[in-house]
Amino acid sequence: MNRISSEWIRKLFEKSSDVVVRSIKINQNNLTVHLFCVDGLINQSLFDEAIFRSLKFDPYLSNCKTEREMMDYLLDGGAYHVFTIEETDYKLLLKYVLSGMVALIFDSEEKAIVYDIRMFEKRSIQEPSEENVIKGSKESFIEVMRMNTALIRRRIRSEHLVIEALSAGRISKTDMALVYISNVADLNTVNKIRELIKSIDIDNIASPAFIEEYLIPNKHSLFPQIMYTQRPDRVAANLSDGRVALVVDGIPFAYLLPCQLPMLMQSPDDYANHFFIGSSLRIIRYISMIITLFLPAFYIAATTYQSQMLPVQLALSTQAAKQNVPFSSASEVIGLLISFEILIEAGLRLPKAVGTAMSILGGLVVGQSAVAANLVSPAVVVIVSLAGISGFIMPNQDLSSGIRLSRFLLSVLAALSGFFGLAIGLILLINHLCSRNNYNTAYMSPFVDVEERNIKDTLLRFPIKYFTKRPNDIAPVNKVKQSEGKDG
Amino acid sequence: MISLLSIRLNKAKGRMDKVKKLVIILFSLLLCGCSHDMNRREIDEINFIHVMGIDYSEGEYVLTAIYSSSQGADPEKGSAGDEEISEGKGATPFEAFQNLKLKNKKSISIANTGYFLLGERAAEKGIKICIDFLSRDETVKMESLLFITRDMKASDFIAESIEKGQMVHEDLEAVEQKQKELITRNDNTLVNILNELENNMTSGIIPYLIAEENSFLLKGYAVFDKLVLVDYLDMDTSSGINFIKNIIRAYPIYLENSVGLSISYSKSHMKSELENNQVKVVIHLDFETMVKEISSKKDIFSADELKSLTEQQNAYIIKIMKKATNYSISTGIDILQIARLMQNQHTRKWSGIEEDWSSMISEIEYEFDVKSQITKSFILSTGG
Repeated sequence: MNRISSEWIRKLFEKSSDVVVRSIKINQNNLTVHLFCVDGLINQSLFDEAIFRSLKFDPYLSNCKTEREMMDYLLDGGAYHVFTIEETDYKLLLKYVLSGMVALIFDSEEKAIVYDIRMFEKRSIQEPSEENVIKGSKESFIEVMRMNTALIRRRIRSEHLVIEALSAGRISKTDMALVYISNVADLNTVNKIRELIKSIDIDNIASPAFIEEYLIPNKHSLFPQIMYTQRPDRVAANLSDGRVALVVDGIPFAYLLPCQLPMLMQSPDDYANHFFIGSSLRIIRYISMIITLFLPAFYIAATTYQSQMLPVQLALSTQAAKQNVPFSSASEVIGLLISFEILIEAGLRLPKAVGTAMSILGGLVVGQSAVAANLVSPAVVVIVSLAGISGFIMPNQDLSSGIRLSRFLLSVLAALSGFFGLAIGLILLINHLCSRNNYNTAYMSPFVDVEERNIKDTLLRFPIKYFTKRPNDIAPVNKVKQSEGKDG
Repeated sequence: MISLLSIRLNKAKGRMDKVKKLVIILFSLLLCGCSHDMNRREIDEINFIHVMGIDYSEGEYVLTAIYSSSQGADPEKGSAGDEEISEGKGATPFEAFQNLKLKNKKSISIANTGYFLLGERAAEKGIKICIDFLSRDETVKMESLLFITRDMKASDFIAESIEKGQMVHEDLEAVEQKQKELITRNDNTLVNILNELENNMTSGIIPYLIAEENSFLLKGYAVFDKLVLVDYLDMDTSSGINFIKNIIRAYPIYLENSVGLSISYSKSHMKSELENNQVKVVIHLDFETMVKEISSKKDIFSADELKSLTEQQNAYIIKIMKKATNYSISTGIDILQIARLMQNQHTRKWSGIEEDWSSMISEIEYEFDVKSQITKSFILSTGG
């Protein structure tokens, strides 16, 4: 078994230039302690001021006869730093130091004192790029987990808020924080999430998907079953509802569980505005979801199989628009949908300035030229554009991606057998969504259950005074959110 | 025991998943296989017939179809092309329709046909055979309208209009709009006519069209007895029918003392009495009018004058309604669908008189109970 010693650590990191192991002679008794840290991860000035200064100039330390005596003095406040622990486990010592702490190694005692003086370059807190609101908080999470948990703690000053430390990744040892309100959240859900995180046995948490795929119950579904948000206020609101948050070091957002589809259709703006405006925005979002999902498939079915469904004038104008186009409606729509995805993907990869030029070139010039060259009909360009724009209205990008992929499948079904295929696709889609179970809650809840109280925050956003109870399946114990009967 | 059960459950679940996947794959293959039998036709491979004329000439039925051609179509604006005509002939309308299909370069569809024109000769031959093949087409639009072309064949009616530079379907749309301005519902829809045929209502009325210089005019109703065309009604008699059928939306009244009024509200209902095989029908009408024009210098807004005007307008409308009832009495044709009224209001007694009904129509006694008022006169000027 490895013991804590400076020699062993030196040998372990002899090829790592950023790991510092430096011996510091304390007094005339030839007592030497060994500094062990990673260059670039510690706060240098704090180290000099609080620790190094004590070691060199504290007269009491100079008079210490043994390393144990020195350790006791330092642990009792001999160094001017609060976050101090004594460590005997070499594995934990390595974990602490490699995450940015400083250790003083006492060879003869085979122990170390660890000081948390981590400081590394980090982004400042900025406005959320995806969930920005006009009226509301402008703070968003950053890549540093502790900063993110602090942002949550700042919003929930309750002793029941639990921020539980976890880690995953055999090599990366990524820090995570499981956040919940202990007297509101369903502890079964908390335990289940904790177990799932502990079961992650992978060398490195390289990207968000490495966490998400371990936490979602239905891995083959196109629809997101875990919600992410950049906004601490949104996390705080969901924690109050009984949900559980997961903050991961290195990821600038927090996950929320359990997740339901109506939750993904909500935006912080809904609550920042008057409830009529909030409800209107919600309705527009649901209509957009229907448009983006079904419009291309509907067009294919109507122009290929059941043209009698179209009103006369629409049928005639569609027919006129399609004259001289050599491709079938299905090829046109699916081809243009693929082109649309290519444009989006290209826009994401390119630098911003070039991306704008590419959008103009791709969207306007190529689109216009394709219509002029009779490669696609103007009606199809309108249909695909409308479906594309409607897809971007979705407040959650994962949901937007899921819908985009689903509309391809529906388009293919419509191409195969018109409205019959579309109806089959719709039935399969409804069946898929309604049969999903996410941490003992229905994915389509409250549309598929009879909890009338939860419906007040789905298609419509009722006035806040009606939000008196928490969702039953998420917070089964502590259900009361606010007292009833108070007209605000 | 429990672990055994859970293993079995897991196995069963695994089998279910496999079955699900298999069903999805089989279903997809089925869809692919069936797609060719699902009437797959691109929209640009179809000629949508806008207007169809049905005629009977020289011992055979002639169908005349108007559709938009690709010539003159503007794909960018999405505007339809010029109107083209195609003709099909056959011993029956269905044969003629098949002939029409054969003659056309593209496949044809009556799914978007908004108007059917029935030539006079075909109407005289009988309406049932003319529209029977339409009723059996699953794509036909049931709210499409049927008109009779007075004194001419539908094909001539169409050809002459196109010669004059008219867009036939657009002019028919204009006729429909005018119809909607005056009455609350169109009873000449295909579904309505088929329904009347289904209920053995052998007497009926369908609007007829006459060709004006640059447009079509809806003059009144063509009268059908035993499903064949027998007569045409003038405009007043047709309006009288509309009043009695309670479908009037607006109607102008021109009184003799130079006052023009317009009906803004009208509601009627009929009540029938059956005593000793004698039918008495009371027609209750309640309507409101607005003064639209005053050509005299007289102050018509005094209480006495308004009362007099009200009486005059009542008499005016009764006169129009009487034209309709008198026509029914004189010809013995049940143009007011009194038979349906009797069926509904005297369900038990109806079976006793059903067989003699055709002879009873001429003996129906009509009584009118008309109430009206003049409202919202917008007195910017009293005419003085």
